[in-house]
Amino acid sequence: MIRFFVLFVVVLAVLFGLELTPWAQQWFVVPWTNALAAISTSIVTMFDPNVMASGKVIRSATNGFAVSIEAGCNGVEATLVLLAAMLAFPAPWRHKVVGFVIGVLAVQLLNIVRVISLFYLGQWNFEAFEWAHLYVWQGLIMLDVLIVWLIWVRRVPRDGDDRVPPAAPPALAAS
Amino acid sequence: MKDRPLFRFVVVVLAWLPVAFGVWYVLAPIILWPAQLLVTAIARIGFGDLVSNVEAHGATLSFVTTLKPGQAAAGGILSVDVNMLLYSFGLPLFVALTLAVRERGWWRALLIGYAAMLPFIAWGVVADFLKNIAITSSPLVTSQAGFSALERDMIAFAYQFGSLILPAVVPAVAWVLTHRAFLERLRASADRLQRG
Repeated sequence: MIRFFVLFVVVLAVLFGLELTPWAQQWFVVPWTNALAAISTSIVTMFDPNVMASGKVIRSATNGFAVSIEAGCNGVEATLVLLAAMLAFPAPWRHKVVGFVIGVLAVQLLNIVRVISLFYLGQWNFEAFEWAHLYVWQGLIMLDVLIVWLIWVRRVPRDGDDRVPPAAPPALAAS
Repeated sequence: MKDRPLFRFVVVVLAWLPVAFGVWYVLAPIILWPAQLLVTAIARIGFGDLVSNVEAHGATLSFVTTLKPGQAAAGGILSVDVNMLLYSFGLPLFVALTLAVRERGWWRALLIGYAAMLPFIAWGVVADFLKNIAITSSPLVTSQAGFSALERDMIAFAYQFGSLILPAVVPAVAWVLTHRAFLERLRASADRLQRG
């Protein structure tokens, strides 16, 4: 457990440091965030056509309210935490890769729910928006990461047992 | 539901979360008082030339600095407010996780987690204050603060790490470290499911 903990902290610090570099921001974080805004908007327009995305901003044409998806809300950090936790935990590489791919999907699915819910919460009540944005959703996303990791850890084979299949889709975590 | 222990755990965590968030928000000035003491000590010892006083207003800490906000002689002094809630929302998450498991000695786990999180809350608050005076304030203020380029980079990293990573990750890590027996039981139950 100590080895896992130390490795997790080191890997996370390195990944986070890399994320802050201009190169990573330009080629990874900005496209990721813009894609998140576009996907969220395309879902929203199924029931509310007066919504548009421009870069990382989602705007209502009806009342002009807009949200800008900033660092901390784009799910990048949550993804890095999940990646660091999976890299640090002793498991076959196949399990790490499959677990990470499915885990990222689970985290991002919930993150889309976060973005859309905040977009409408902000139009309804700004105080509720601030509360949900600054405190509640931050905790829920980390809870999602923890649950995905727990599901994954349960599926990791013990030493000498490589027959256990990789993690199943953690639908539970995104619900 | 094949994953019953985990499913039950998640449901109970989600049930505890609103309660924990409510208690945390209402009692924040009391719950965060040790963090406030820690921040005050760090400010006095580490940045005594920049900070003359740290005052608490509910969950907000006001750093009264020795810096002048403008060029006028009677321009007063700069005060920086930092919301401690921004760096402590992991406390209710940790409480909900711990109460959902409620192992023997759960209150001890609560105390250990709480104590473990306090320095990281202080980290976030102090880094937020430093970011304000070293990076985001007017050039007049940042020049008075006198940080070098390297120090400003370190402050920026400390602030980003202390606001984007630590508040959410520390409670999860603290919970994992204080609930290893529960994790082992979860893995064992998964083994039984896969065998049978």
